[in-house]
Amino acid sequence: MSTASTNAGARRGMKIDLHVLGPILALVALIGIGIALNSNFLSYGNITNVLARSAFIGIIAVGMTFVITAGGLDLSVGSMAAFIAGLMILCMNLLVPSMGQSLGVILIGIAVALAAGLVAGAINGLLVTRAGIEAFIVTLGTMGIYRSLVTWLADGGTLSLDYGMRELYRPVYYDGILGVSWPIIVFAIVAILGEIVMRHTAFGRHCAAIGSNETVARYSTVAVTRVKTLTYILLGCLVGVAVVMYVPRLGSASASTGLLWELEAIAAVIIGGTVLKGGFGRVWGTVVGVLILSLIGNILNLTDMVSPYLNGAIQGVIIILAVVLQRKGSTAT
Amino acid sequence: MTRLTLTTTLAGSLLCSVALPAAAETIGVSIPAATHGWAGALNFHAEQTVERLEEQYEDLDFVLTTTPDPGTQISDLEDMVATRNIDALVVLPFESEPLTGPIQRIAESGTWVTVVDRGLSQENIEDLYVAGDNESFGRTAGDYFVETLDEGSKVVVLRGIPTSIDNERVEAFQAALDGSGIEILAMEHGNWSRDDAFTVMQDFLSRYPEIDAVWAADDDMAVGAIGAIEQAGRQDEMWVVGGAGMKEMVQRVQDGDSMVPVDVTYPPAMIATAIELTAMGLMSDGVPMSGDFIIASELITQDNADQYYFEDSPY
Amino acid sequence: MTAPTLALHDVSKSFGPIEVLHGVDFDLRPGEVHALIGENGAGKSTMMKILGGYLSPTGGEVRLDGQRAAFSDSAEAEAAGVIMIHQEFNLADHLSVEQNVFLGREIRRGIFLDHKTMQAKSRDLMEALEARVPPRTRVSDISVPEKQMVEIAKALSRNVRVLIMDEPTAVLTGAEARVLFKQVRRLRDEGAAILFTSHKLDEVSEIADRVTVLRDGAVVAQGGIDEFTEDAMATAMVGRDVSDLFPAKRAGGDEIILEAAHVDVPGHVTGASLSLRKGEILGIGGLVGAGRTELMEGLVGLRPRTGTVTLKGTSLPGGDVACARRRGFVYLTEDRKGAGLLLDKSLTENLTLPVLHRYARPLIDRKAEAAALDKAITDFDIRVPSRDVKVGNLSGGNQQKLLLAKTMLCDPDVVVIDEPTRGIDIGTKQQIYTLIHRLAEEGRSIIVISSEMPELIGLCNRVYVMHGGHVAGELTGSEVTEDNVIRLATGLGSQREDAA
Repeated sequence: MSTASTNAGARRGMKIDLHVLGPILALVALIGIGIALNSNFLSYGNITNVLARSAFIGIIAVGMTFVITAGGLDLSVGSMAAFIAGLMILCMNLLVPSMGQSLGVILIGIAVALAAGLVAGAINGLLVTRAGIEAFIVTLGTMGIYRSLVTWLADGGTLSLDYGMRELYRPVYYDGILGVSWPIIVFAIVAILGEIVMRHTAFGRHCAAIGSNETVARYSTVAVTRVKTLTYILLGCLVGVAVVMYVPRLGSASASTGLLWELEAIAAVIIGGTVLKGGFGRVWGTVVGVLILSLIGNILNLTDMVSPYLNGAIQGVIIILAVVLQRKGSTAT
Repeated sequence: MTRLTLTTTLAGSLLCSVALPAAAETIGVSIPAATHGWAGALNFHAEQTVERLEEQYEDLDFVLTTTPDPGTQISDLEDMVATRNIDALVVLPFESEPLTGPIQRIAESGTWVTVVDRGLSQENIEDLYVAGDNESFGRTAGDYFVETLDEGSKVVVLRGIPTSIDNERVEAFQAALDGSGIEILAMEHGNWSRDDAFTVMQDFLSRYPEIDAVWAADDDMAVGAIGAIEQAGRQDEMWVVGGAGMKEMVQRVQDGDSMVPVDVTYPPAMIATAIELTAMGLMSDGVPMSGDFIIASELITQDNADQYYFEDSPY
Repeated sequence: MTAPTLALHDVSKSFGPIEVLHGVDFDLRPGEVHALIGENGAGKSTMMKILGGYLSPTGGEVRLDGQRAAFSDSAEAEAAGVIMIHQEFNLADHLSVEQNVFLGREIRRGIFLDHKTMQAKSRDLMEALEARVPPRTRVSDISVPEKQMVEIAKALSRNVRVLIMDEPTAVLTGAEARVLFKQVRRLRDEGAAILFTSHKLDEVSEIADRVTVLRDGAVVAQGGIDEFTEDAMATAMVGRDVSDLFPAKRAGGDEIILEAAHVDVPGHVTGASLSLRKGEILGIGGLVGAGRTELMEGLVGLRPRTGTVTLKGTSLPGGDVACARRRGFVYLTEDRKGAGLLLDKSLTENLTLPVLHRYARPLIDRKAEAAALDKAITDFDIRVPSRDVKVGNLSGGNQQKLLLAKTMLCDPDVVVIDEPTRGIDIGTKQQIYTLIHRLAEEGRSIIVISSEMPELIGLCNRVYVMHGGHVAGELTGSEVTEDNVIRLATGLGSQREDAA
């Protein structure tokens, strides 16, 4: 047995490379296609657009990486984002008459968004860990609840931020430092911190251990309940952060805000090499996954080669291909 | 999931209507859920009308359901017939094909059927057809482009969710532009969503150094497109025409915003028209009410904008 | 002498560049029980898998009835009547006993399944194995020995010519093993050829007709059972003398370090009291299902419990396994693969998992972790081809040593070791016993739960025996004999009943 494993180890060494390189190769290939199809692809404006629009899903997907690595799942993030955005706009609009169009209102709005994210994440987490309900069911339920709540808050229409406030808050999405816009900066910070936490802290290691085998983690005196709950809270907070960056973009929230974000985030996580059933996660892979998804849309918009009716099909094919490439590298061992 | 069955009758009216089989008439109203702005306004107008008519006519009951998909809508209709014994149905079909059969069966059972906006795939099923005019919607916008833009101008188009409605609008728009010398650079689906339209418009702006005007085919998409144009700092180069008559956009037209010179109506209040006409047909015997009632799209300009601004509407 | 049913002729097997079987000659004759013994890693599993059609040999050939047989997969082998029972169960947890027994070979009447016949047949089979499990019970709801019996029933339900059993008794108690042997003898008398492996040499003496000893991928000894004493088998397996399996027994000090009073673990244990002295190796005996594991899991906080537990003079709260660990009380599970180790993770990640906080300040110090692994590898003699290998690829013995190293990294004062040598070869066993002694000499106190009589008797100076969720009695010094333990374990002469 032990002699046989030497051999397996050696073989795996080579395949890990493929496993690691898979998503990066896909990203490079997409960038190559983009350059070939449109000379504006590499322009400052386009790159900024793609990165900034990736930020919302990206920030959420970083949190999703932890949840999935620990063996969980959260389907509610898209609706949660819409609900938090609605709540934030409503609070800010309510404060304008008393506080005027001031920085204070924005700060309170941000605090509301982050707090709401924390609470929403905690609700998901506690229902999963304390009540012992399947994550899929819990978050399917909260997904419907948040989506309805935002529709209700908006009376079926659109919640729009006070016009003056919008002008004041706008720079948070559109401005930046040294030509790098804020969403990109925040996304980068979240991604880097996420990568460090996942790879270099006890929390990240505990997530992987729980996802790999929850019983072993429990017998190894890992605080399973606490760690799992924390992954959902972390994700909720990151949804709050994403909303803080989203609201200044168009200053509105409606029932269609954040539609299907959960699926995009989950797809990005899986494309990035995190295992859907948990036990192994990598944040940098998730970032690559998010960029791949954004680039597909961007490239399709930049050309007329493919009928726009087929956009979804192309995304689907690329998602499946990316995952198949990686599985090829890992199943053989 | 978002299906909420709103029985707008007073509490216990179900019991009453069973106990007192008097002349009480019931109208079923089935419309799509408020998943985007226009549908939200549709819900708003439907609820308002139902409330008003219930006060007006003592003998009239309403069953209002909102549905997230065609399948649920079919179940809703079956429930209405089976449990509420409706006398008339006002329905905005989620999709034409799958709902044609179920609605036909209801019509054949002798129930009055009013179809709103989305026509069924077979003719002469409904007693009354109330609809906006999608062709007129596209043509009105197109005519404005032809009138305002010079030959050789370049425009981009943000389309809605791929449906027959979207096709009718876009074909009419293209027909209006035919022969005018205005070039349509590209058309992409913005799915009647602000966020999608923002993204698509960003990419159009990267792709085309010269754009003179944008037809966004819906006011929600227009808001997204304007966001992207402002980000690129190109608001002096082009203007945007949306459609549907969203409050925020009407306001901008009224204020003389150079980016939003006009808007085109496609009134969600048509549901009110449909419910009113149905109620009237049901309550006033002998008043002829069958036929088609087509509400044309009109151009909102700075001069007439005040007529299209509804303070209370969420849309 | 009858002609062999299944034989290996000069068989070798390589994985990549490494040859793990070197020119093995081996035969299985009808009407014999042939024991294959050897240390973990000697190549037993590989050899059995070749016989069972799961692997094909790199050199040499497999012969069935004297004809060259190239099974392309296990299904072909099974069709030829060659059936293998794996050490890891091959059962669908969510299906019933009956469904498992007939999985893939369902009896039909027309297009419908014939449930009645299948149920009756599986009930008969299970009864023959003295496992009274209703055929409709889901496999996930039955005990580990019962699962083993289902596996065996599955094999018995077919037309068996050759039955290959990989350590069938590892999870069985002595009594259960005896029932199994009765069935094995029945099959043998019907003319089947049976190959079986076990680390329990007394069982080999009891059941086998012939023995083949494998060491480092080659046959080192072969012959009739009467040619081998147990010591001779052990010596042939290990290549050195292992007659001194157990170091000298030691009694603990006077200081009581852990005391449990009137502990209930709902559903498993009622009114258990026990005490542990400093530096003592205390044994817990009893049958599988007597509540031994559950009691210890309750004490350490892995299960809810009531009653009082006093650790080093202060009371220990229930249900908080992390607190117990901080205060120096840890439990090493019997379920190495299900609860002990993360099989898809590296050695390091497994080793430091319980005390990761020590290495994270707040970022994990990988150098310190690597040093800890180096030390563990030396201290516990863990043999690994490389540091990055996944734990699932290690042999059972090395996994058990890693699990010990992981537990000892918590620097505990009190360690519960549940079945310390289950499924482990005799050489490693000796090492583990020596290790346990060393720990006791360092002043740590150890509780050993074991179903293996020699282990309890050889290691422990004092033994509590459990029966049906109660502590049935306590044996000290010369009272610790196989007879006394069995008497208490089976509910005869319980002290508790005497007291009542």
